[in-house]
Amino acid sequence: MSKTRLCSDGRSRRHFLADTSMGLTGLALGTMLPQRALANEEKWTAPDGQPHFASKAKRVIWLFMLGGVSHVESFDPKPGLNKFAGKQLSETPMREVLTNAFVKENLKAFVPGQHQTKMTLYPMQSGFRERGKNGVAVSDWFPHIGSQMHEVSLIRSVWTTDNDHGAILQFHTGRHIFDGYLPTLGSWAHYGLGSLNENLPSFVVLGQGPGDCCGGVGTHGSGYLGPEHAGVKLEVDPKNPLPFSTPGPGMYREEQLKEFELLGRLNRLSAVEYPSDPALKARIKSYELAYRMQMAAPEAIEYKAETEETKRLYGIDQEHSKPFGEVCLAARRLSERGVRFVQVYHGGAGNAWDAHKDLKKNHGELAAQTDKPVAGLLQDLKQRGLLDETLVVWATEFGRSPGAEQSNGRDHHPFGFSIWMAGGGIKAGTVHGSTDEIGFHAVEHRHYVTDIHATVLHQLGIDPKRLDVPGRKRIEIDYGKPIREIIA
Amino acid sequence: MMRSLTLAVALFFAASMSPAQKLDLYTEQIKPLFQKSCLGCHNAGAKQGGLDLSSREAMLKGSEHGPVILLGKPEDSPLYKVVARISEPAMPLNGKKLADADIARIAEWIRGGAEYGTSAKDPEGVELSEVRKHWAFRNPVRPAVPGGGNRRNPIDAFVEAERAKHSLTAGAQAGKATLIRRVYLDLVGVPPTPEQVNEFVVSNHPGAYDKIVDQLLASSGYGERWGRHWLDIWRYSDWYGYRKTGQVRYSQRHIWRWRDWTVEALNQNKPYSRMIEEMIAGDELAPGDVSVARATGYLARNWYLFNRNVWLGDIVEYTSAGFLGLTLKCARCHAHKYDPIPQADYYRFRAFFEPHEVRTDRTPGEADILKDGLPRVYDADASRPTYRFIRGNESTPDQSLPIQPAVPRLFGPADLRITPINLPIEAYFPDSRSFIPADLLAAAKAKIEKAEADLKKAQAKPEPEPLIQAAAKRVEAAKADLPALEARIRADMASIQTPAPPDSEALAEAARKLERAANRLHADASIIGAKYEFDQAGQDEKSLGKATAKLEDAVKSLKEPAEGYTSIGQKYPATSTGRRLALARWIASKDNPLTARVAINDMWMRHFGKPLVPTVFNFGRSGKAPSHPELLDWMAVEFMERDWDMKAMHRLMVTSDVYKLASSDGAQAKIDPDNLYLWRMNVKRMEGELVRDSMLAIAGKLDPAMGGPELDEKKGDTIFRRTLYFRTAPDLQMDVLQAFDAASPIECFARSESIVPQQALALANGPLSFTISRTVAEQLSTRFAPAGKFVQAAFQRVLGRPPSAGEARESITYLTEQTAMYREPAKLTPFANGPESTVRPSADPAQRARESLVHVLFNHNDFVTVR
Repeated sequence: MSKTRLCSDGRSRRHFLADTSMGLTGLALGTMLPQRALANEEKWTAPDGQPHFASKAKRVIWLFMLGGVSHVESFDPKPGLNKFAGKQLSETPMREVLTNAFVKENLKAFVPGQHQTKMTLYPMQSGFRERGKNGVAVSDWFPHIGSQMHEVSLIRSVWTTDNDHGAILQFHTGRHIFDGYLPTLGSWAHYGLGSLNENLPSFVVLGQGPGDCCGGVGTHGSGYLGPEHAGVKLEVDPKNPLPFSTPGPGMYREEQLKEFELLGRLNRLSAVEYPSDPALKARIKSYELAYRMQMAAPEAIEYKAETEETKRLYGIDQEHSKPFGEVCLAARRLSERGVRFVQVYHGGAGNAWDAHKDLKKNHGELAAQTDKPVAGLLQDLKQRGLLDETLVVWATEFGRSPGAEQSNGRDHHPFGFSIWMAGGGIKAGTVHGSTDEIGFHAVEHRHYVTDIHATVLHQLGIDPKRLDVPGRKRIEIDYGKPIREIIA
Repeated sequence: MMRSLTLAVALFFAASMSPAQKLDLYTEQIKPLFQKSCLGCHNAGAKQGGLDLSSREAMLKGSEHGPVILLGKPEDSPLYKVVARISEPAMPLNGKKLADADIARIAEWIRGGAEYGTSAKDPEGVELSEVRKHWAFRNPVRPAVPGGGNRRNPIDAFVEAERAKHSLTAGAQAGKATLIRRVYLDLVGVPPTPEQVNEFVVSNHPGAYDKIVDQLLASSGYGERWGRHWLDIWRYSDWYGYRKTGQVRYSQRHIWRWRDWTVEALNQNKPYSRMIEEMIAGDELAPGDVSVARATGYLARNWYLFNRNVWLGDIVEYTSAGFLGLTLKCARCHAHKYDPIPQADYYRFRAFFEPHEVRTDRTPGEADILKDGLPRVYDADASRPTYRFIRGNESTPDQSLPIQPAVPRLFGPADLRITPINLPIEAYFPDSRSFIPADLLAAAKAKIEKAEADLKKAQAKPEPEPLIQAAAKRVEAAKADLPALEARIRADMASIQTPAPPDSEALAEAARKLERAANRLHADASIIGAKYEFDQAGQDEKSLGKATAKLEDAVKSLKEPAEGYTSIGQKYPATSTGRRLALARWIASKDNPLTARVAINDMWMRHFGKPLVPTVFNFGRSGKAPSHPELLDWMAVEFMERDWDMKAMHRLMVTSDVYKLASSDGAQAKIDPDNLYLWRMNVKRMEGELVRDSMLAIAGKLDPAMGGPELDEKKGDTIFRRTLYFRTAPDLQMDVLQAFDAASPIECFARSESIVPQQALALANGPLSFTISRTVAEQLSTRFAPAGKFVQAAFQRVLGRPPSAGEARESITYLTEQTAMYREPAKLTPFANGPESTVRPSADPAQRARESLVHVLFNHNDFVTVR
């Protein structure tokens, strides 16, 4: 590959740096390695970081509840379940849900007979009422999020195909876990648009992600887009926000900057030998970012400067909601500082929301952990004027079965469930799509998970088809379709 | 009304069913229904009421009350009548009535002739003929080497054949410097010295590379490097729990002995099969051999304070996944969704481990097992039943049917020959071993000294009179313990002789008396102390309560032992069930289709950067197929035929031409961007262990000491032992390991290779990299004064290669500029705080510039990258 192109400007750039005021923030370093310096010599070119069309949202906060939140006890209450409670599904007028065409469509990977539909209908375990200024029926377990429904566009008609927790990976890549570890939505956004803030990673992951069963680190991975586009996990530990964030008093700041500069040049020289090594590219970028993150990341994670009122808004003043409150607050702080995509997990490697039994206790507690923090996030973004350009998504891998599992739980349910979006140019106060009378199938405006991806990317100003990578074939369903009805 | 209606409907349908429909009815409806509701009791093993519904023949034999089905006549068939609740006993027994639709289907099925289908079926519906269709469940057969074995190494022939199918050809061979660094890091976990690189680069000897491979495989570093790999899969974890009180909640104290066994076994090239047997059943395989018992730390590591089901569950799930690539985990609650594994298989597997428990035996030189000891397993209770948990819920065990140990059905009937094993006395009464008395007596004497020292301290202070009295009493008590201990030892040794010596009863009685006398003195001491506390407590209720409790305890202890004496150690059962040994032998058998393939895949992945079967822990039907099925099978057979010789397989892999390929990219990336067909070598990133160990080795600071108790994970910057020897537990790992995708001790079948800024910070700001850089710079400067030579040497030393002209130029300029910069420290801004290296930067500006350059090289992508 062309040796000269890569290294000819090494010295001049160094002199350029020496001439500048050497701002110790490291901004100068950002110019050292232009985005395209390592791109392949082919007709195809990598995205240039510009949106394909005018974007409505600059950034995304993606809140993902692990384990499968019951749609019928959160955002899609079903009086029909109370009506038919205790009845066998086959005895109700709803029996046709077992045989209609959706079953086939929704269960590509299902082995017949092995995972039986739960037949005894189970009444709602929480009350519900109309909430928010627009009066949307929401469970009593989510009063705070409920109070914000006029800011939200609720989608009650999402479906997926995996009836096990591999659906977590599927929700992020759009493909069944058997298809492997493909790029996730956050990595596509990163790949397409790059960073808004050179001092922080563009794709940040907060909270404990799922275990290896269900995607593991792949749920914020970047697959064939290369490691530089993968999510960077940050610990929300205000006491120790970033390990190794300073080299100690033996070092000078100027000295450290010089070292990073030399390192960048040497790594680039070695890139001559390995022009398309994605790991080398990623490492060069990770060092640039590391340099700038030293101060920026701890500053973003610590929240000493926040007012008591703000902390209360996120529920940080209460034991049960404090951990997730801190995470949501960090999400806002990172987002505010220009992180393009903040992916937040709740529920951890144990898939906490997976209420096969004791649903009432399980969901009651988990809802209490998250209700105030999530609602607080929406209100806080709104009051700061950030909501217009920040797209907040609340999602989970699937809903829970209308029928009872054991005596007091619900099973996985991929046929129809709810997610919602707010801000970022999404129509506020809408309810889109619906499930049938018992919450079994999504019946009206059905959306596969990639429609959510397409909507998010659309709001970011990206046409996913224009992000294709040579040699990596995608099929139609991988792209999804933006949900026009909820776009303002 | 309802009943007769459903029956009528069934009769109507059954009359018009085709044979295929009848069969479908069975496989789609009746079989799952039977599995769910009937076969738990009415299977070939349990045969409750004499009825077995697992095959048509058995079903037609009926129950102890006679036939259960009259073909074509559901209304007269007892089976129909009991499920429809027309007659007693209502079935399923104690269960809910079946859904009407299901009852109707049963009627329909009986009406149609109670078809079971014709294929050979296991009682639980595992269709063995179906099972055999899956590649990994068939035994590997050695395939012919493509091209008639012209290649020196069959691996190359297989890879080449696969490449040819995809119009790919092998890329260039790696440069010698790259290759030797690769193979060193791969086999021993540290890079070669510049001298070793140079010797290889200049050598023309055709066998030079093979000789290096042999040397590396023979060096102790091999066991340390590969030990860590296997311990990823086998889930090595030091204990964790509540450290304030020393409460162990997970794993075991001194579990490092199993880590050391692993390293030693690999270095001795113990056959893999033997390693499996020792880990799962070392105590049964070589009872009394403590060096083998260490291996059972593999099981002891799963110990969990709060829940034995979690503990045994982990053993079942990770033993099956780690050795067999079988995800039994999925069958904990229900039949496996993708593999032919009924739920009972999970519990049959568990039954092998049901009798076992964990204990800590004393080790020579230390009587206190909190300080040192050997954690190991033993069979504590052969009669403990295993029950299937209904839907995996441990609060609802199915007690109607105890489950016997057996291997998963899909492997067909295996003759396990579970034979109980008689244990030698040193195994079931470990404190009968000859070194124990001396250690116990030494500990008792140390206690006397301690008590005397305490007394002196109390007198010197002086403490209040009652406390001095208590201390004096404690000296008396400690002194009385010694003859009591001697008597207990004598009595114990007499008790294990057959026939019992004539004075054994007298010895026991003497021990009892002396022990009781000593205990009385201890109690007296406690009473004096407690009384004093009681007096001092005054009106404070809490202190008063405490003092009273102590007093009561002391008074109670006056009465102990009520009869007999306290043995010096516990006696365990004198036989072991032999269950684990049977399982281990089955796993490690050449007839097992999975074990060798799984291990070969694990090894391959670590040598080549990517596995042949991508789902390394899942070789089942939901796993991925191998990219090179014939190569995998050839190697698996080779491995077994070489009696599981691991070093031989390593040698075969790393001396192949594939292994020697350059990792650089090329035009073929367009055809095979993921290098699935190995037209080049995969680039690997060093694991965290390699990063740290290599830095230490490059500075000549790596302490070669092997083995021993786990080291404090916070001291990695100042203790220069291999990273392997530092504590690793779910909540405790070295920072540098965490940054570089450490192996989670909970589960790690394959490490990930992320590239995140935290890694950059660990190397750029971590104290160790400064220590190492400054040390290396000093060493190099003493030998290479001129800047040009220094730069050459620094690249060689840190990156294992010389600098290119451009790199040399950049580096020399850097040295000049940095030197100038350090000359004017007043213009520079030191960092405010942070951890400090133990080695200070040089006061000499020129030398400090060199340190800085070396520091940059340790941060170079080529350092953490294995090309």
